[in-house]
Parts: sequence; C-alpha cells; structure tokens
Amino acid sequence: MALLKVENLSVGYKSKKGMVNAVNNISFSIEQGRSLGFVGESGCGKTTIGMTLMGLLPENASILKGDIIFNGNNLASFNDEKWRAFRGKEISMIFQAAMNALNPVIRVDEQIAEVIQIHNPAMSKSDVSNQVKKIFSLVEIPEDRLRDFPHQYSGGMKQRAIIAMALACAPKLIIADEPTTALDVIVQDQILKEIKKIQKALNTSVIFISHDIAVVADVCKDICVMYGGHIVEKGTREEVFKSPRHPYTKTLLGSYLTLDSYEDINVPEIREAPDLITMTGGCRFSANCNCKSQKCQCQTPEWVNLSSTHQALCFEELLNKDKND
Amino acid sequence: MKKIEKKPEHRNHYIERFTKSWAIFIKNPMGKTGLIILSAFMLMAIASFFVPLLGPVYHPMTGADPNITYSTGPSLQHWLGTDFIGRDLFVQLLEGAKVAFIVGLSCAFISVVLGTAIGMISGYAGGIVDTILMRIADIFMVLPSLVILLILASLWELSIWVIIFIIAIMRWPSVSRIIRSQTLSLKSRPFIEASRVAGASNFRIIFKHIMPNVLPLAFLYMTFRVTSAILVEAALSFLGFGDPGQVSWGMMLQWVWSSGHMFQAPYWLLPPGICISLLTLSFYMLGRAMDEVLDPRLRKEEEEE
Amino acid sequence: MKTKKIIFNKLIEITILFFIILTVLFFLFRAAPGDPVSRMVDPTLTPEDIQLLIAQMGLDEPAWKQYIIYIKNFFSGNLGHSFHYGEPVSNIILDRMPCTILLFTTSTLLAAFAGVFLGKIAAWKKGSAIDNVLSIGALLCHTLFIPWFALLVLWAFAYKLGWFPLGGIISPELWINDTSFFIKMLDVLHHMFLPLLTLFFIHLGSYLLLMRSSMLGVLKEEYIITARAKGLSDKVIRNKHAARNAALPVITSVGLSLAFSINGGALTEQIFTWPGIGRELIFAVSNNDYPLAQACFLLITAVVLIANLIVDLLYAYMDPRISY
Repeated sequence: MALLKVENLSVGYKSKKGMVNAVNNISFSIEQGRSLGFVGESGCGKTTIGMTLMGLLPENASILKGDIIFNGNNLASFNDEKWRAFRGKEISMIFQAAMNALNPVIRVDEQIAEVIQIHNPAMSKSDVSNQVKKIFSLVEIPEDRLRDFPHQYSGGMKQRAIIAMALACAPKLIIADEPTTALDVIVQDQILKEIKKIQKALNTSVIFISHDIAVVADVCKDICVMYGGHIVEKGTREEVFKSPRHPYTKTLLGSYLTLDSYEDINVPEIREAPDLITMTGGCRFSANCNCKSQKCQCQTPEWVNLSSTHQALCFEELLNKDKND
Repeated sequence: MKKIEKKPEHRNHYIERFTKSWAIFIKNPMGKTGLIILSAFMLMAIASFFVPLLGPVYHPMTGADPNITYSTGPSLQHWLGTDFIGRDLFVQLLEGAKVAFIVGLSCAFISVVLGTAIGMISGYAGGIVDTILMRIADIFMVLPSLVILLILASLWELSIWVIIFIIAIMRWPSVSRIIRSQTLSLKSRPFIEASRVAGASNFRIIFKHIMPNVLPLAFLYMTFRVTSAILVEAALSFLGFGDPGQVSWGMMLQWVWSSGHMFQAPYWLLPPGICISLLTLSFYMLGRAMDEVLDPRLRKEEEEE
Repeated sequence: MKTKKIIFNKLIEITILFFIILTVLFFLFRAAPGDPVSRMVDPTLTPEDIQLLIAQMGLDEPAWKQYIIYIKNFFSGNLGHSFHYGEPVSNIILDRMPCTILLFTTSTLLAAFAGVFLGKIAAWKKGSAIDNVLSIGALLCHTLFIPWFALLVLWAFAYKLGWFPLGGIISPELWINDTSFFIKMLDVLHHMFLPLLTLFFIHLGSYLLLMRSSMLGVLKEEYIITARAKGLSDKVIRNKHAARNAALPVITSVGLSLAFSINGGALTEQIFTWPGIGRELIFAVSNNDYPLAQACFLLITAVVLIANLIVDLLYAYMDPRISY
C-alpha cells in the first residue's frame, strides 16, 4: 500500500474576486522510500500542495474536496489538535534557508531539540541532546557549532540545520520546498547529495518541490509536472524528461538551457497567466498552448495513459497529432 | 519640445496617485474619524478669530465679565462658565484651538523640513558627513525637550514662536533617521545610478529624484510631530512657562490648577484636557491611516481579508 | 569579553556627550541677558560670602579659566549653592534622586512588561474584541495629556474617594514616631500608588501599540511557519518564537522614549508633589534658583544617558545578532 495517497484534492483561497482554485482535482501517491518531484512555474500550486500536506494552509485557504490518506489516516479531516501531534513527527518539511526559516534569537541546537521534546515528552534531557548530536553528525555539521545562533552559520550550514530539524523525529515523509533555490551551485550540489544519502539511509519518502528541473531530475525518480493548479503530466523521470508528451511539459523543458541544445533553444514567449478563479471547465493551458484545438476551451481534458507509469492530462488526438509533427 | 509633452503626463500621474491614495485613506475608519475630529477643531480655531468681535468681554485674555468676580459654571451667557476673574472659558477654549494648530503645524513643518533635508544629505552623502550628522541626531534624540525648555525658560522669557522653534529643533532627529534610511535604499536603485551616469548633478539628483520619493514619508511624519509639539507646548504652559501673552489650553489648565479650582470646577478642568487629548488623537489617527496608504504591504493585507 | 568592550565604548560615548552638554550649558548661562554673577551667587548673601563664592567659582576670571574651574568644580561635586535652600546643591539633589529613580524605574518597567504582554495578546488575537479593546485603550493612553490625566486621577482617587493621599511621599507623623520599617514602606507605597498609576498608563499605551505591530510583523515571518511545522503548541510559538523577537523593538523604543518619559515624570512629580528631581527643577526654574536648576538639569541628563546605556546593553544581550 502506498504511504501517501492523495485523491481528487482541491484547495482554494478566498479572495475579494472569488475563490482562487490554487490546486484543482489532483491525485498522486507515493510509496515508502520513494521520491516524488513537483515541477512547475511559480503560482502553479506546488507550494500549496506542500502546505496542505503539512496542515499549514493560511487562514483564508481551505481544502475544498478530496482525501489525503497517509498511513491509513485521512489528513483532510484532521483537527488542529491532531495536526499538532502529527506535524514534525510523521511528516516534516524542509524550508528554504534563505527565507529566514530559523529563528534568529534561539540557538540552533535548541531549535532542533524542541521538535524532539514536543513529540517525545517522556525523553530525558540528556537523551534529547544526544539525539540532536546524532542528527547533526548525520547532516555533517561540526559538533562545536551546535550552540551557535543561526546568523553565525553560512547559507549551506543553515540549510543543513533545517534538514536536521526536519529529520529530528525520523518522519516517514519529508516535504522539501525549494530547499536549494538560494544556494550557489556547489553548495546546492552538496545539499542535494545530503538529501539523497539521508533518504537512502532512513528509507524516508521525499516529496520534492522546485521550479528547477535539473534539481528535481537529480533527486526524484517520479515526476509530476504542474500547471495552473493541475498536474498535467506524471511519470518516471526518464519518461517525463526524455519523452515529454504534454504541450506544457515540452514548453517547460524547452525553456531550459542545456549545453547541447543551446543553439536552437526556443525560449517560450511571454504568456498569459492562467485564470484560477473562473472555472470554464476547459484546459487551463489552452490560452498558451501551441497545439490546441476548439474543444480545449470548453471540454475538460482527460488522463491519457501513455504507459503503465506515464500519464498526461490532455486530449489523446492532440497528443498524437503533436507526435506526428 | 519633449519636455513640454512630458509635463502634463507627470501631473496626471501625481493627481492619479493622490486620488487613489485618498480613496484608500477615506475608506479607513481611523482616517475618517481622525479627519472628522480634526475638522471640528479647525472650525473652533476659525471661530476664535470672530468671537472677540462680539465685544471686549469676549477677549480670551483681557475680556473679564465685569459682573462676575469668581469662577461660575456654565450659563447661557457663558456657555462653559467663567474663570476666577470672569473670563469666558469657551472663548479661551476656541483661542486654545487656534494656538494648538499654530504650534503643532508650524513646529511639525519646521522639524520635518529640517529633518528631511538633513536626512537626505546624510543618506546621500554617506561617509563622515553621515556619521557626524547622525551623531548629532543621537544627541538631540536623548535630550528631554520639556526639561531643555524649562532650563531655557529660566534664563529667557520665551515667546510662543521661540518655543515653537525650540521644540522643532528638538524634534528633527527621528524624522532624519527615517528619511536617511529611505534615501539610502533609493540611492542604490538603478534610476539614480542611471541619472548619475547621464551626468546629473548631486543637487539635481537629490531634488529631482530623491525628494519626490521621500516626501510622502516626510508628510506622514509631520502628523506625528504635530502631536508631540502640541503636547510639549501644553505641558510648558501648564507649568507656567508658556508665552504669558497667549491663552492656550495648557495655560487654562495652569490657571485652574494654580487658582485651586481643580476640585471645584470640573467645567473648567475638563474641556481643555479633553481638547488636547482629542486633537492629538485625531492627528495620530490621521498619521496611522496615512501609514497604511503609504505602506503597500499593510494595504494588501487589508484587501485580502 | 565582547560585553566589556561594548560597555567601555558606550561609556566613552556618553562621557563625551555629557561633556558637550556641560559645555553648552556653561555658555548658555553666560549668554543669557543680565549679570551672570547674580545667577551663580545668591544676591541676598553678605558681601563677604559673595566674594568668597565668586572666588571659588572663578567668576572674576576670564571665560576660558571660568570654564576650567566650572568643569573642575563639577567633577569634585561642587555644583554651587542653592539660593532658596541656602545649602550646597549637591546635598539637595542627592536627597531627591532616590525618589525619582524609584518612581521612574518602577513605572517604566511595569509599563514595559504589561505593554509587551498585552501587545502580544492583542496581536495574537488580531481583529477580535480583545484586540479592539486593547488597541483603542492603548491609543487613548498614548495621546492623553499627562498633567490633565494626573489631575483627573488625583481628583478621583484622592479627593473624591479619598483612598490615597493628595501628594508627597510620606506621612510625617509616621516618621516622627518610631514606627517599624515595614509600616514606613507601606506608607511610601501608599503615596506612590497614584503617580505610579499615572505614569504606568501613559507609558503602557505606546509600548502596547509598538509590541502589537512588531508582533504582527514577526507572525508573518518564515520561522513562525517553521515552528508550526514542528508541531509546537500555539502557546510555545507565541511566547518563545514570536514574542521574544517582537519584544526587541520595544526595548529600543524604551531607550528612545526615555526623554519623553522624563518629561512625563517631571509633570507627574509636580502634580503629585512627589519630591523628585523633576519637581525640584520646576521649582528652581520658577524661583530663579539658577544653581539648583542647572544641577537638576545635568542630573536628569546623566540619568537619561545612563538609562540609555542600560537599554543598549539589554538589547545587545537579547539580540544575539548584535555585535558592535
């Protein structure tokens, strides 16, 4: 059985203009020990998915429908009390260090110890501090830096500390939301290796959220491509990146510069942002799609099975038409 | 030719910005309340110019009612009553509104002009000029203005304009600090760099590019300066060191206190205090509402809710 | 090590600052119209005494020498003779000092703690009835005219209800008779209550408003989401992760508003006839007792500077990011 199974999940934000459907009718699942990546441009709803799985949606947002089955529990029906006991213990999150995710006035070891303490109230102080030391050695922060304040750390070390925080209670699932975005390439590489190593060592599942295709391709075996609140294509990384089928995936990959393709790179033109408020029922990408047909505007596209693991949300004939081009 | 074309566009831009800001401002309950209270006080201040025309009895300083030789309560003839030598309290209250506006606005104006100029120079020049100016600002910041005014009042007889000027001198540093940090952040923006590359003089950059951008902030600080100026002047008058030729709310309180009427004449004690507090409150509310107009972060949050 | 260096630097800074103020004051007293000698020396003394004091303060010497003598006298504690009391000014201000410090520190600390606490709650429950009541109350406190508020307090609690004395710091009869220390303490507290209440409310408003807005800013920070993601309880997030950060600007503002607090303190002392430095200054200025006024002024300035130093150190201690 899958560790996490999300079915027909929709999340909306209340705004003055109406309900914004940031995440619309998405389904995915993840097995124990696997890694799943979400890619898409900013505003496509990938961060909202992460926040929903943590129960950290802002006050003006709510789950409109759908189920989130984690280890037999339906998270969509959790109340505050249940969430509190759950967060940080079963599912935890790796935040972006550049975003001030560490509290500047509390020592780093204390910030990690408090996760362990809150979820293991019976644990003695010395056990907690031993556990903290163990985790620090796992993420390779020298022990003499334990008592430092966050501002004394470099960017890479801060990110390691944040990873340590997420690992503190050995959660079954870790959600990493753009964990390497603000780091320079070398540090980024170290951190990604760290995450892969830890994932293997602890057999944790990881959901990796990023706009950076290279990062996701590096870490994740399975990929979901998101656009305008929908998952538009999912499959293994080879399937999605080597033989993309959905027009949006192609555009996304086309905008990505690689050494062997720099000559005929086709940078996508500036496009309309998808309208997340009015629900026309049509494909949200249709306004910008370069192989659309009449029915894209009014008919909801359906999942097309391309292989046992590879699926795209489009009209079958369009996918095939494009293939013939 | 090009310049002439550009100008009306600029003006339209400012008008548009103003009307937009006004729309946000007036929607804010705090701004609206503040504005209503303020208008009432303005009417009082304007009325004070006409009241003495009713006759010498209604002069706030010298117009004692010959029939009254002690403090009386409210009556038809004297709406708020009279003080211990028969002067009309309502007339004094109106006169006080005028003085409060003069003190508050001119003080705020001087200190904000001074503070903005120094803040812009300090932020733009940087280096040793910045250090020296900000050290001076620090000194003024820690000095208690009322105590300074008291020690000066012991040496000189202070007229209302001297008091205004001294309070303004005491009050510029906090304005400077804000304007300075705003200037610093503006200085590093590309458009300043671009105009420097294009050969604009420092003077031109400061007045043409930096000043229009810090002015809204300076204006906001003016409303906060108004309140503190009114309070300090009132306190000084209350202690008996105000301009002896000028009736003010602080002085009315000084009279009720020093003549020993404070427990006997609530009709005399209450109005000036309520007026001072309400007027400062209204300026403060105005400032807070403006703060929200100027701070897009705050506004956005309101819109989301 | 670090702290020592900070203290040292700050001490040098405030010493220089104090010197500047001392110098400005020297020139002000000589620039004012009238005879400077009659401002320094009580004209009602006998001619011999006047001559003695003039010689002591070097008032017959050239200005630069006078200045040196003035500085020397100041640091040897000789601040001149009070006209009114006929004793050395230093005796008088040393007598008034404890009263001011007692009232001032108690009210500031109480108001700061209450302001931080209530501001925290108001921000946490933003938009609720509690928040509205606290915010509006704080706004009113913040814009109150201090002497007027003090008079109202005096009128209500001392005159109408008679719960507290009208002024002063002690009831003389208790101190003439040999009463126990405890009763004397209670007596002082009884006298202190109303001025304390006045100052408390006046400071409370600004601290509360500041803490509220600071806390609202902090609650939007990323590390608050991190704290929630850890599964911490609301109470821990509010008190440990948010309030500590939010209180930092309040500490700075305590430092910056000291000057304002001194103004309020002087007015409150005056109305409640609390025998402190502020009231003495007002008295000296009203009675043209120049040496006394000058000494009170210098002392108040010194208190403000030292209090600023303490606030700076407290801030450095609270915020680990600070390293001067």
